[in-house]
Amino acid sequence: MEKPYILHMLTTAKNLSPFDVNMAMDAGWVSAVPYINVEPGEIQGLVQDAIFSRSAKNLKRTGIFIGGRDTKQAMDMLKMAKQAMVPPFEVSVFADPSGAFTTAAGMMAAVERELMTKFNTTLAGKNMLALGGTGPVGQAAAVIAAKAGANVRIIGRQLEKAQHIADMCNNEFGDGKINISAGADADKADYIKTADIVVATGAAGIELLSAALIASAPQLKVAADVNAVPPAGIAGVDAFQNGTAIAGSNSGAVGIGALAIGNVKYQAQNRLLKQMIKTDKPVYLHFEHAFEVAREYVKSTS
Amino acid sequence: MEKRSILHMLDPMPHNSPFDINMAMDAGFDVLMPYSNVKLESVHGLVQDAIFSRGPSGVKRTGIFIGGRNLGLAMDMLEAAKKAMVPPFEVSVFADPSGAFTTAAALVACVEKQLKEKHGKELKDCHGVVFGGTGSVGIATGVIASLAGADIILTDHFSVDTALEVAKEYNQRFGCSLKGTYASSEADKARLIAHADIVFCTAKAGIQVISADVLDDAKQLKVAGDVNAVPPLGIEDIKRNDMGAPLIHAINSKGAVGIGALAVGNVKYQLQNLLLKLMLETDKPLYLDFRDAFSKAREL
Repeated sequence: MEKPYILHMLTTAKNLSPFDVNMAMDAGWVSAVPYINVEPGEIQGLVQDAIFSRSAKNLKRTGIFIGGRDTKQAMDMLKMAKQAMVPPFEVSVFADPSGAFTTAAGMMAAVERELMTKFNTTLAGKNMLALGGTGPVGQAAAVIAAKAGANVRIIGRQLEKAQHIADMCNNEFGDGKINISAGADADKADYIKTADIVVATGAAGIELLSAALIASAPQLKVAADVNAVPPAGIAGVDAFQNGTAIAGSNSGAVGIGALAIGNVKYQAQNRLLKQMIKTDKPVYLHFEHAFEVAREYVKSTS
Repeated sequence: MEKRSILHMLDPMPHNSPFDINMAMDAGFDVLMPYSNVKLESVHGLVQDAIFSRGPSGVKRTGIFIGGRNLGLAMDMLEAAKKAMVPPFEVSVFADPSGAFTTAAALVACVEKQLKEKHGKELKDCHGVVFGGTGSVGIATGVIASLAGADIILTDHFSVDTALEVAKEYNQRFGCSLKGTYASSEADKARLIAHADIVFCTAKAGIQVISADVLDDAKQLKVAGDVNAVPPLGIEDIKRNDMGAPLIHAINSKGAVGIGALAVGNVKYQLQNLLLKLMLETDKPLYLDFRDAFSKAREL
């Protein structure tokens, strides 16, 4: 008899995300087992405990999911999990803290599609602002865009914090190949003048870009907003919007709303959870892989 | 329709063991419920909460697993669970903290088998040393081997007091006769191994405890068993799958053989699987601990 699929779900928070649990079950995992308040120092022990109770063949039916809130911590935990493996005792691991990796991937894949279909261009060389960009979604979106060749600026209320986050993204996630910069929210009226892309990744229910600033943007092409709670993070972009023009944009920019992003995010997370089940060789998945599958999904539907 | 089988997995530690989760699923439990940070005084309430909701046919499809790190606490929790039952509302309970009971039972049973096959000896004829003897697997190994008649010394890697305390505590609890000492330097280990017939290596994963040099000092070593599957292994040049392979560095102990972690692990796996399945198959509720583990391991 085939062994049941077990996903060990680790989070540094005091609860798992019910969203992720639903996603795991729907992707085909039979048992989703929660481990809460996990500290990075416990990863090696938990991983080595998990890998030695099934044969190499049945380890293919075993996986580890890393949740939590913090991007760098989740990536560190992913690395530690990988290092803890003792081949052939090895299982797939997928990090998606706060769902931020798949959300950012879904958003950037949708942005890329709009650039291509509406403006016949790519992310390469575009100026992107990540408003409210110091959180997990903003960080992952910034890194994904920068790796695709965009010039990205993370905007936060405090310049110092934004700079710190930008440096962290460059050092930790960029392999020294990206150069994300930082800016203060107070200066966004200046930055918007050269922006091709704006993504709003701040807290729900806060307007990060006003109608006046949208109107003042001479080369804005795509604006995406992950906030599904009114008021919208970007004035004129509603949650259902999926590539239609933003009323009041003088540059013909199109908008992508939270639910349209959520759809791609859902597909990306579902595909990665399924990839863990299907793969022959263990995989270690994070925002880059999320972007790959989000792109595949977007391509298959456009 | 038959009710789905449910295993309530109680653990005094912050996390349940992923190893045990895999094992319970693979033994056929349909639903696993982890309970972490469980205190001894909560066991009574949790057990009574579990037994009254499924009717007499449902309790047969319900079990309780007790994990954790501490053997004494697990035994106390097993006892508390047993006392909380209200027949016919009664479910099977299996204690296997850190998997230590099944790992130790498998290790001692493997060593016993090799002793008999290769040397015609019984455990009661032997002096044994448990390196890493104050950890959960080490203690359980010592207790099982001691109750089987072997003369056992538990070693701690730096504190003689810890080793003595542990030996005393478990002697009182289980009526065994463990001794305790420390083994921090190569010289300490060499001194201990010189007179040992059997050696159990139950130290932390990824740490070599017995080097070739130390093995060289063994004068009457017959069987050495290792439970560390993460390189470097606990005993130099032992292979993880060895089951009675010659210990090449024990040049002064004729016919000494080794047992590697995956060979022990294989028996442990079958043993834990069997005990978990017993909980599903039994008509009468079972209370399983290291003694049941060892008697089943001997049969395997």
